[in-house]
Amino acid sequence: MYMPDFEYHTPETLTEACALLDELGEKATVLAGGTDVLHKMKVGKLAPGHLVSLKNLDDLRTISHEPGRGIVMGALTSHNAIYTSRLLQERYLSLPMAAHTMASNQICNMGTVGGNIVNGVPSADLPPILIALNASIRLVSSNGERTMPLEDFFHGSAETVINQGEILADITIPDQPATGSTYIKFGLRRSGALAVVGVAVSVTMDGDTLQDARVVLASAAPTVMRARGAEDFLRGKKISDELLAEAGDRASAESRPRDSIRGSAEYRRNLVGVLTKRALRKAIDEGHA
Amino acid sequence: MSDNHKVIGRSVPRIDGPEKVTGAAKYTGDLKFPNMLYGKILTSPHAHARIISIDTSEAEKLPGVKAVITHKDVPELKYGLSPARWDENIFCIDKVRFVGDKVAAVACVDEETCYRALKLIKVEYEVLPAVLDFRHAMDEGQPLVHEEYERNINTEIHQEFGDVDKALAEAHHVRTDVFVGQRTYQAPIEPHSAISMWEGEKLTIYSSTQSPHYFQYYIAREFGMPMGDVRIIKPYLGGGFGGKLEPTGLEFAGAVLAKRTGRPVRTFYDRAEMFAHNRGRHAQYMEITTGVDKDGKILAAKANFMMDGGAYTSLGIASAYYAGALLPMTYEFDNYQFDMFRVYTNLPACGAQRGHGAPQPKYAFESHLDNVAADLGIDPMDIRIRNARRPDTVTPNDFRVNSCMMRECLEQVREMSGWDEKKKNLPHGRGIGVATGSFVTGAGYPIYRTDLPHAAAFIKVHEDGTAATLYTGSVDIGQGSDTILCQMAAEAMGYRYEQMKIVAADTEITPLDFGAYASRQTYMSGAAVKQAGEEIKKQLLDMASTMLSLPADDLECEEGVIFSKSREGKSLTFEEVARKHFVLKGPLLGRGAYTPPKLGGSFKGAAVGTSPAYSFGAQVGEVSIDEETGEITVVGIWDVHDCGKVINPRLLHGQVHGALYMGMGESVWEEVLFDDKGRIRNAELANYRLLTAVDMPPIQSEVVNSYEPTGPWGVKEVGEGATNPTLGMFSNAIFDAMGVRVNSLPLTYEKVWRALKEKREKEETIAA
Ligand SMILES: Cc1cc2nc3c(=O)[nH]c(=O)nc-3n(C[C@H](O)[C@H](O)[C@H](O)COP(=O)(O)OP(=O)(O)OC[C@H]3O[C@@H](n4cnc5c(N)ncnc54)[C@H](O)[C@@H]3O)c2cc1C
Repeated sequence: MYMPDFEYHTPETLTEACALLDELGEKATVLAGGTDVLHKMKVGKLAPGHLVSLKNLDDLRTISHEPGRGIVMGALTSHNAIYTSRLLQERYLSLPMAAHTMASNQICNMGTVGGNIVNGVPSADLPPILIALNASIRLVSSNGERTMPLEDFFHGSAETVINQGEILADITIPDQPATGSTYIKFGLRRSGALAVVGVAVSVTMDGDTLQDARVVLASAAPTVMRARGAEDFLRGKKISDELLAEAGDRASAESRPRDSIRGSAEYRRNLVGVLTKRALRKAIDEGHA
Repeated sequence: MSDNHKVIGRSVPRIDGPEKVTGAAKYTGDLKFPNMLYGKILTSPHAHARIISIDTSEAEKLPGVKAVITHKDVPELKYGLSPARWDENIFCIDKVRFVGDKVAAVACVDEETCYRALKLIKVEYEVLPAVLDFRHAMDEGQPLVHEEYERNINTEIHQEFGDVDKALAEAHHVRTDVFVGQRTYQAPIEPHSAISMWEGEKLTIYSSTQSPHYFQYYIAREFGMPMGDVRIIKPYLGGGFGGKLEPTGLEFAGAVLAKRTGRPVRTFYDRAEMFAHNRGRHAQYMEITTGVDKDGKILAAKANFMMDGGAYTSLGIASAYYAGALLPMTYEFDNYQFDMFRVYTNLPACGAQRGHGAPQPKYAFESHLDNVAADLGIDPMDIRIRNARRPDTVTPNDFRVNSCMMRECLEQVREMSGWDEKKKNLPHGRGIGVATGSFVTGAGYPIYRTDLPHAAAFIKVHEDGTAATLYTGSVDIGQGSDTILCQMAAEAMGYRYEQMKIVAADTEITPLDFGAYASRQTYMSGAAVKQAGEEIKKQLLDMASTMLSLPADDLECEEGVIFSKSREGKSLTFEEVARKHFVLKGPLLGRGAYTPPKLGGSFKGAAVGTSPAYSFGAQVGEVSIDEETGEITVVGIWDVHDCGKVINPRLLHGQVHGALYMGMGESVWEEVLFDDKGRIRNAELANYRLLTAVDMPPIQSEVVNSYEPTGPWGVKEVGEGATNPTLGMFSNAIFDAMGVRVNSLPLTYEKVWRALKEKREKEETIAA
C-alpha cells in the first residue's frame, strides 16, 4: 500500500475552497472524511496532485430545521452525527437507522454524507433513503450555486453531474406529507458489510390507501435508482400483502443488477423483491423507522 | 478427579494482559533499530510465466535504495516445510508459479522508497497457460506447475485397513455423498514481519513466527550455517493459526539484504501480500462412502479425496495425510480406506490452518452421517452416540486412544442444548445440528527427522527467592501458553503464580521447543515445565530438610510455604530456603525435557496423526433461516470438550470461542476467491468476510471431567479441536432447518436460497 505524493490544502471558508478548486483545476480532489478518497489513492485508483480538505468548514457540519424549507444538513455531517441527531431521530428515524447500518464506528466518525453522495457508487447507503425522503442538494462554486433533487445528481456507475470546482454544500429534506419511511440493507455480515441490495421506501398513507410511495434501490443497478413502475403501481391502492408482494415483483423486474463478488444478479433481483415488500410493510406499520 | 491443586485449575489473569491491553506490548513490526532499513519483495503478477529477464538497474539508481537482490544473489537450495517435498526457492529462477510468487527484493531507507523501487524493477515474462482448477489439474494435456511432478501430482495416498469391500458388501445400507470444501485463509490480525541483522557471522532475526526452532533450522540449512549462529527471537505475536509456521521468504530475503547492506532490515507483508503468501486451508473435493448395519452402526468407510495444493508443498503433505488420518477418530469402525491426491495448481500454496486437514473431511463425514441417519430414520444424536469411540481403543490406522469421553460429550451437549425438545418442537425454518471432532495433542513426530526432544524447559529461582523465571522455547501466539506454563511451573515448584516471570521463544536463551502448532504446548511443553518445577521442589525440600532437621519426605511445599506434613507450626518460606540454597549450593535451577514415546503403525504415512493423546468434542448449533433470502441467523451454539485436566478455565473457553469463531467463518462466510487469471479477488477484509463481534451468537462452552493418564496433570489439547466439528454442525443445522443439503462450503446465504428455490421448483413440478 503506497500513497502517491500530493499537496494538501485546508481552506478556511467555502469561498476560499471554491477559489482554490478553480485555481487548481483538474489536479485537485475534494477531501471530506477521506474514507473513499484515501482508499482509492492507496489502491492506485486515484492520484490527485492536490487534496483540498474541507475540514475547517464547520458551517457545513450542522443539522437544523428551517421553517418553510425543511431539515438542512451540512455536507460534512458524519454518519455518526446523523445517527445521534435528535432532530433526525424525531422527524425521520429512518435516516439515522440507515446511517447505523454503515461500515464500522471508526469509519462512521470520519465518513460524511456529502462524501457518500458525491462518491456516486450504487452501494452507498444514504442516497436511497434521502431520495425516498425527496431530498434536494445545493452545489456551490465560484460561479454561484445550483439546487437540484438528489435523484437527478446520479447518472451512471459512479458518475454524477457535479462539475469540477463545485462543492456539495448541504442537503435539504423538505417538510412533507410522507407518513413513513425506512431503509433495509441486506449485507453478508452484521457489521462492516456493503449492501448486496438495499431498499429505501417512503409512503404517504390515507387510512388503508397508499396515496403515494417512493421505492429507491441501492446496489440494484449501475446507479442508485427509483423503481418507478412499482411506485406507479402502488399509487392510490388499498394495501394488502398481495399488493406489496406484487410491488416487490415489479421493483425486482425493473432492477438491473450485475453479478458481483457479493452476489449473482439473479440473487440480487430476488432480494430487491423481498426487501421492497418488507420495507413497504415496515414503513406502513411503523412510520419513519 | 478431585484434586488439591493450588495454582492450576484457576483462571489466573494472563501474564501479558496489562501490556497487551495498554498497548505497551511490542510486536515485531513495532521494533526499531538504529540504521534499520525497510525491505519489500517484488512478486509475480502472473499465475504462470517464464522469466525471460530481470533488470534491476533503474531501481538501483533510485536514491534511498540500498540493495536490490534476485535469485542470483541468494542460495539456490530449495526449501519448504514438509521435507519430502522441498520445492521452493527464495526467489524464482526460471519461472513464476502463482500471482504473488517471489521474484526480487529491495532494501531502502524507508517504506515509500521500497514501493518506488519495486516499480522500477523490470521483469520480462513469457506468460504460460496456467492450472487454476484443481479438479482438472491431473488431466491429460494440462500444463505442469513443476516439470518434475507428472500430472501435477504433489502427493498421492492409498491406504486400506481391514477389508472395506467385504464390509460394504455385507452392510445393511451403503451410501455415497460428495462434498466440496473451499480455500480459506488464517487472516491473523498481525501481518507477517521479520527484522534481520548480522554481527559478524551471526544472524539474528526477530520474527512473527509460530516456531523459532523450525525457522532456525530452515534458515541455518538454507545458508549453510551452524544452527548456533542463527538466533530467532519471537516478540509478542498477534495470531498465527498455522499461517506463521514456516519461513515466509521475508526472513530469507531479509537476511540477505541485511548481509549486503550491513544494516538491520525489516521485511513485512501488507494485508494483500499476506493473502498472496497464503498457506491457508486447501480447497478439497471429498467423496465419502459408508456402510452401516440396520441400527446405524458404521461397518466401513471409504474416503476418496482430492486437494488443491497451490504452487508449492508448504506443510501440505501433512495436510493431505491428516485429512484421512483423523477421520476414524470420533467413531469406531474397523474397515477404512483412504485415497487422496494433492495436486499442484498455479495458485498460492496451501498449508496448515487451525484443525490442520481435519475440519473439511469432518464436514463431509458429519454431513454424510446425517444423511445416513435420515435414510434410516435415526436421530442424528443417537447415531453418533451409537458409534462413539470408547477409551483405551485403537483406530484402524493404529492410533492408540487413552482417555476418551466422546459419548459423555454427546450426552452432555444433548442435555445442555435441549436437543430432544428442540428436535420435536422447532418451528419451520429453525434447525439444530450436531457434529463431533477430535484432534491430536501434539504431533507424535517432528516436522523434519530428528531425535531431539520435542520440548525442554529451565527454571531459575532468583537468588533471594522472590521470583522465579521460566525459560521455555514454547511460543505464545495469543493463546496464552506463557500464562499456563507459568501456572504449571508454580504448581510443580510449590510456588505462587504471581511471582513467576517468563522468557520464551528466543533460540539463544531458551531451551528447545518445537513451537505452537498441532496443539502441543500445554501437554508437551507442560511436561517439560512440570519436570523442571519438580526438580526445583526436590532441591528445596532437601535444603529445608537440613534447615528444619526433618526428613525431606515429611515436607511439602505449596504456594511458597514449606511445611511439615506431620507437625504443626514447622514451616519456612520458599524465599528463605531458596536463598539458603543459593548461598550454600549456588544457583537453584530446574530442568525438564519431553520426548513422546514411539507411536503409530508401520504403513506408509503412519506417523501423521500420531499423538500421545487425543481430544474429543461435540457441538450443537441452532440456526434460523430466512427462507426468502437464505440469510442464516445463528441462535446459539453449545460445545462440550473432552480436553483432560483444565489448567486455566478462562483461557480454555477463550480457545473454544476462538476456534468456533474461525469455524463459523469457514462454515458460512469466508472464502478466498480468484479471477480467471489466478488473481485473488478479495485479498482484503471487506470482501474476505471475517465475522465481527456482533455476528457472534451466544455460546455455551463446557468440559467433561476428564483425565489423560499420559499428560502432565492429565491435560490434553483444546485449541484446534473445537474448530473440527463446527463446519459439519452448521451443515447439519441448516439441513435440519430446510430439509435440503448444501454440498459445498461455504454454506452462503445465496447457496441456501438457491437450494430452497430448487426444492420449491421440484415440488411444484411434482405437484403439476
Ligand atoms: C471500511 C469501510 C467501510 C465502508 N462501509 C460503507 C458502508 O457500509 N456504506 C456506505 O455507503 N459506504 C461505506 N464506505 C464508504 C465511505 O465510508 C462512505 O462513502 C463515506 O460516506 C464517504 O465519505 P467521506 O467523507 O469519507 O468521503 P471522501 O472519501 O472524503 O470523499 C468521497 C468523494 O466525494 C467527494 N466529496 C466529498 N465531500 C464532498 C463535498 N462536500 N463536495 C464535493 N465533493 C465531495 C470527494 O472528492 C470524493 O470524490 C466504507 C468505507 C470504508 C473504508
